[in-house]
Amino acid sequence: MGFTKINGKMIEAQVVPGQRLFSQRGAMLAYSGDVRFTPNITGGQGGVMSMIGRRVANEDTPLMSVEGQGRVMFGHGGHHVHVIDLFGDTLYVEADRLLAFEGTLRQSTMFMGAQGGVMGMVRGQVTGQGLFTTKLEGNGSVAVMAHGGVFELPIVPGQSVHVDPQAYVAHRGDVRNKLSTALGWRDMIGRGSGEAFQLELSGQGAVYVQASEEKL
Amino acid sequence: MSYPPQPPYGSSPHDQPTQPGFVMPPPPPPNHGPQQGYPAPGGHPQQGGYPTPPPPPGQPNQPPQPPQQPYAQEQFGGPIAPLPTTQGGAGPVVHDVYSLPVNDNVNPYAFSVELNGSYFLQKGKMIAYYGDITFKGVGAGMVDRMLGQHFNSPMHASDWVVAEGRGKLLLADRAFDLNSYDLEDGNLTVRSGNLLAFDPTLRLKQSIIPGFLTLLGTGRFVAASNGPVHFVEPPIRVDPQALVGWADCPAPCHHYDHDYMHGLIGGIRRLTGIGGASGEEHQFEFIGAGQVLLQSSEKLMADRAVGHVGAEAGVPVGGVPSQPGTAGHGGGNPNMPGLGNLGDLGRRFGL
Repeated sequence: MGFTKINGKMIEAQVVPGQRLFSQRGAMLAYSGDVRFTPNITGGQGGVMSMIGRRVANEDTPLMSVEGQGRVMFGHGGHHVHVIDLFGDTLYVEADRLLAFEGTLRQSTMFMGAQGGVMGMVRGQVTGQGLFTTKLEGNGSVAVMAHGGVFELPIVPGQSVHVDPQAYVAHRGDVRNKLSTALGWRDMIGRGSGEAFQLELSGQGAVYVQASEEKL
Repeated sequence: MSYPPQPPYGSSPHDQPTQPGFVMPPPPPPNHGPQQGYPAPGGHPQQGGYPTPPPPPGQPNQPPQPPQQPYAQEQFGGPIAPLPTTQGGAGPVVHDVYSLPVNDNVNPYAFSVELNGSYFLQKGKMIAYYGDITFKGVGAGMVDRMLGQHFNSPMHASDWVVAEGRGKLLLADRAFDLNSYDLEDGNLTVRSGNLLAFDPTLRLKQSIIPGFLTLLGTGRFVAASNGPVHFVEPPIRVDPQALVGWADCPAPCHHYDHDYMHGLIGGIRRLTGIGGASGEEHQFEFIGAGQVLLQSSEKLMADRAVGHVGAEAGVPVGGVPSQPGTAGHGGGNPNMPGLGNLGDLGRRFGL
């Protein structure tokens, strides 16, 4: 199971009966076999309350569920695709970056304030995540889109990683993040380095960074 | 994930590899590194030379020419992505007229044509050239004679120029990946916006599918794609936007999925619009023997307007007599470039 990478911008998924996939609507490139694509009203798992939660949280990227038997190729918008395999750990990612994920993962919405209170909310604004982000946990694969190639930076205890908020894609594991500012008088008069805000991640896990500061 | 073996760098004085495994007509490794897990049954198509007619069954893996296969894996993503540097990482490669590759990619995004004679290219795709080359709009004087023989798509004439002369011609298109394809007495249909240039030995025609062009004959052409091109074999159904083209497939047809529009829930869905459409109701279906070329994205390049097909019995799309004043309206649906109104689901569902 899982997703096979065809090239940097395409993945292929095997669909077997009884296991469904979720993918962003319109992200199917091609398929063979008997595969059905059904628009998912609730935008993912968890029933109506989850749907309302997602709507409120603005994490309701249109999803479709993919079922049947065959293989499907996914890709979207010419964005680079990165496949992340989860083994019981947790991935935090913005919903509109989700290209596809396996139905075995539990999807939920997380309030940014839950990680760091007010500063978490500020951080969400700066990274473009908004106040909420999507959490995926369990065993399965996730395909995440990014503008430009994606690379993974491991985070180990005692060694925090600083990431440009605009280049941040996702993170996994038990990671605390905070927004560190390096605002000085130069920024006040408009002569800043352009790197005044950084996302500092510490703990145990990994962060995925895109080689671009452009949002999707 | 092993790295495809590279020729040793610096082995000859003129050894200026642009990118790992790119230009160097390799001592081809018998197997090109890790094939990216696409177990195509039968012949495995190569990125570089597209072997037509369909590969002889005995040798599915023999590239007819040094392929550009490795770059697709190296260039993007994955754990084996080296940065495109020269040997020693000494910065960009400096080319001159001799070191530019002959009819091959300079890097994934630029293609160098050794011109000796004439070449068709789409307007605006030339980025640089060496030598003595003139560019003439199609329709000018001498060129017309050649056109008559090889350019059987008069509606496209204004989009193409003819490069004539000798030299090296560099082509590129908005940083899209370029690939060259060799046809040997074959046929290949490609999205009109994706075709960059072709040998005058090929003949260009309009495909029956609106927005696509068919190349016939023997020769080489250059096509662009958003992301590397991926070859698949029928039977397969392809999102119209992800389709770059196809070769030898006898039967491209439209396929509509709307199972979820049936039944009670489906009826509600259809009446209220709640739940929306999956966006995948319409595909192109390919069956039979051949190859289908996919691009990895659904972001389209602007399609060249395919000329309006005259109103004529038996011609799809053209059946409606076009009013002179509303030609733009009848010509194509702006929402679905390249599809005409065949992709219009509203019409399909009678809405």
